[in-house]
Amino acid sequence: MTDSTIALDELERDALTELVNIGVSRAAASLRKMVNKQVILSVPSVEIVTRKSAASLIGQRESENLIAVQQQFEGPFSGRALLIFPESNGLSLVRAIVGDEMGEADVVDMEEEALAETGNVILNGCLGSMANMLQQTLKMSLPNLRRGDSNFLFEAIGGPNEESFVLFLYINFSVRERNIRGYIAMIMDLPSLEKLKQLIADFIDRVMAEAD
Amino acid sequence: MGNDADNLAAELARERSELELAQRRLQLTLDAAGAACGWEWDIARKRLVADARFAAITNQDAVALADGVSTDHFFISIHPDDLKRVKVAVAGILAGSEVFSKEYRLMRNDGGYRWVHASGRAVLDEDDEPVKFVGMLVDITEQKRANEQLRIAQFAGGIGTFEHIVGYGTISVSEQFCRLFGLHPTRILPVRTLNDLIHPDDERIIDLSDPDRIQNERSIEFRVRRPNDGQERWLARRGEYVDDTESSGRRYMGVIFDITDAKQTQESLRQANQALSEIARESMRERNRVWTNSRDLLVVIGIDGVFRDVSPAWMEILGHPPDEVVGRRVTDFVLAEDLDQVVLDLKRAVENTHTDLEIRMARKDGTPRIVSWMTSREEDRIYAYGRDVTIERQQQAVLEDTEAQLRQAQKMEAVGQLTGGIAHDFNNMLTGVIGALSVIKRRIAAKRLDDLDKFIDAASSSAARAAALTHRLLAFSRRQSLDRQAIDVNQLIVSMEDLFRRTLGEQVELLINPMSQAWKAYTDPNQLESAILNLVINARDAMPDGGKLTIETANVAFAEADLARGETLQPGSYVVLAVSDTGIGMSQAILEKAFDPFFTTKPIGQGTGLGLSMIYGFAQQSGGHVRIYSQVGRGTTIKLYLPGSLDEIAQQKPAVDLDVTPPRGEGETVLIVEDDTSVRMLVVDVLKELGYRVIEAIDGAEALPVIEGKSRIDLLISDVGLPGLNGRQLAEIAITARPTLKVLFITGYAATAAARADFLAPGMEMMTKPFAIDDLAQKVREILTAPQSAVVTE
Repeated sequence: MTDSTIALDELERDALTELVNIGVSRAAASLRKMVNKQVILSVPSVEIVTRKSAASLIGQRESENLIAVQQQFEGPFSGRALLIFPESNGLSLVRAIVGDEMGEADVVDMEEEALAETGNVILNGCLGSMANMLQQTLKMSLPNLRRGDSNFLFEAIGGPNEESFVLFLYINFSVRERNIRGYIAMIMDLPSLEKLKQLIADFIDRVMAEAD
Repeated sequence: MGNDADNLAAELARERSELELAQRRLQLTLDAAGAACGWEWDIARKRLVADARFAAITNQDAVALADGVSTDHFFISIHPDDLKRVKVAVAGILAGSEVFSKEYRLMRNDGGYRWVHASGRAVLDEDDEPVKFVGMLVDITEQKRANEQLRIAQFAGGIGTFEHIVGYGTISVSEQFCRLFGLHPTRILPVRTLNDLIHPDDERIIDLSDPDRIQNERSIEFRVRRPNDGQERWLARRGEYVDDTESSGRRYMGVIFDITDAKQTQESLRQANQALSEIARESMRERNRVWTNSRDLLVVIGIDGVFRDVSPAWMEILGHPPDEVVGRRVTDFVLAEDLDQVVLDLKRAVENTHTDLEIRMARKDGTPRIVSWMTSREEDRIYAYGRDVTIERQQQAVLEDTEAQLRQAQKMEAVGQLTGGIAHDFNNMLTGVIGALSVIKRRIAAKRLDDLDKFIDAASSSAARAAALTHRLLAFSRRQSLDRQAIDVNQLIVSMEDLFRRTLGEQVELLINPMSQAWKAYTDPNQLESAILNLVINARDAMPDGGKLTIETANVAFAEADLARGETLQPGSYVVLAVSDTGIGMSQAILEKAFDPFFTTKPIGQGTGLGLSMIYGFAQQSGGHVRIYSQVGRGTTIKLYLPGSLDEIAQQKPAVDLDVTPPRGEGETVLIVEDDTSVRMLVVDVLKELGYRVIEAIDGAEALPVIEGKSRIDLLISDVGLPGLNGRQLAEIAITARPTLKVLFITGYAATAAARADFLAPGMEMMTKPFAIDDLAQKVREILTAPQSAVVTE
């Protein structure tokens, strides 16, 4: 993004994408165990944008209200991770996970709980794997659920003056022949992002060293 | 030698080994022909096994790869710029990433490189730990080039591509596609995202209302509100379905491109068009206003005679609403008795560019309306403008009727004047005759016979004037019998000069300019005399304050070419007698009526209005003509054209001397047939006195036995108008019975004898009543002494 002050070069972005893919692969494996069905998660691309850009990016694409599972993470780099769906997709995801046996009312009743749990699996897998690959440790908070439009999701988190960026991932879910789209956003301040960039560079160096 | 043998054996073994190797290579190469560039990376053992094609594409020893090598062989030949990326991706797989999908370059022997796509995956154990990394390479150099071309083409052409697999909520898009939608470039977009940017009234790029439905393949156009700049743009979508090789479903492959400019051009064209249409409509409205508001009829007719359009005025004037008229024939709207004429009129309108017609149209209630049409033909249409002139025509008819009545009233008034005048004159004359006769009677009774002549002359004179008056009346009625002969007009004028001077008085100067070599005129001298006198009196009356009156004669010969069309004169020679005055002249209106009977400019009681009309009648009957040349205030010339006679001027008969003793008869027998007793008695008395034997009969019935009898008859004197057999029929019977019999008709009024020559057969003569008894004696003598076989003419 042009408005980004922290620019990842192509290789760093590739590396970050790999790290995220490792993470979502782990998450997919966990989900497979949960639903006992084939679950494929893929992350086509990764970007670092400002919060504002992130809000408009999702705002451009989604007209309906959003639902987000949010978790704080702390470690060498800290921030908030969000798994974001359009509200209707959230319900589909729950339906995909719980299966068709459950009645509609029950699905609605347990939507928040199920989404929170699913989000926790995905975010934990994702962030955990990344930290692991980067040879770091992250401490994750309990998940909570937020609803609202993209501006609300991004601007309500942290003060308006906070210099923060969003590591923005577009995710395709494929569960039980249902197509569910979603986003993972990691909101970090500048120092955390710089730390992440450094860790990625180290990771690349390690990979190169190992392969040689 | 042993060494040689050993060496030889060793050589053989080596060669055999090489042969085996070569054979194996060949085998592997042959295998490779049908195989992919596959690899299998054993993570735990850190060994790499790959097939011959993988070896070939990475320039490695196929045998070694088939047997297994260290994993760093995976990276051999990878382009240095791509190496790190690939290593990062491989690291991801080894760390737990499930999918490996990378494109990168491999160096070739010739220094070039090829693009490959490496797709692989991790094989996990029960604990979800990766144990193997397997996959294969695909040479995508061509595809890459094609993609590059496509990308450039898309960019240059502003064409964005997309693919949508039926049932998916997302579509794959190209960079250019995102730009066209005003979106951040990406490769996958939710369909809803796109549809929500499309104008609510337009079609969606992919209609997800039924997710599994096949999209309409036709081209569509829609407006999008671009999120990045807020602009509204028109985009067009084209595309078609192809079988999706990966999902075995259907894949819609499409393109979009911006058509805003074209739309704007289209829109401005449309607006321009609309503006033009508005102008056209406005002028149509104006034309329609004329059409609709016209109080006269406006119609369009095909040359087939069928109404194509009629204006609403039709309803007003003829009572049919226009839609009852359009499509029907013109002939359906005219009166049946006019049909033939209308067909002709219509033909004229078709054959001529412009025509003026007057046609009686039938109103819806059947009453006729007279419509005056002006038509104008263009191509196969006749445009006609019709004005209802019924009332005008009715008023005109009323006017004409009124005029006729007025004329009749005037005529009756004139007749009243005339009869009054005649009665007065006649009374005067009768008074003269009766008075003289009573004086004579008293004198005879008193035996005073010395001074009788004076009274007898007075009575004769009064009677002669009465005879002249009746002559004039007959001339007016144009049934006067003309006694035409060749006359020296000059001599006639000169003989009348005294009369003229007395008539004109002292204030009028008289000039007589006879042409010296004037021809004789062939006409009736008495009538001519009367006509000239009449002209002179008119001329005098036109000069109440005096002036100059000129009487001239001239010869003129008309050839056919000299005569205008419609001229009543025949080619030939004429004697012209012109009477000119310097009087008040006549206006054009008066000139036109100058010859009308009873038309007079004189005050009531001063003229009968018969003068010029009698002259006209006389000239016509003589085979001549009258022309008037007049100018108001300058004077009038009236020219009398009389047929010229080139014969020698006949010896003027001396005026009848009343004192001459009438010739006596020599005992000849005369049969007289006359129904008027006093006339018959008078004639019988005179003839007996003159020495004729006379047989009298009242009518044909009484005369016939005498004619058919044996007694001698030398002359038949008969009235023309008789009860029963008329005089002419009686004469024919008589001549048939007695071929040598001579006949003399006496008539006061001979409708069938206007010209004697047509009426009289040879041996017949005619006298006009009244006549002098002496004239009768003279005539009878002439007839009886004429040669038997001579054809008697005037």
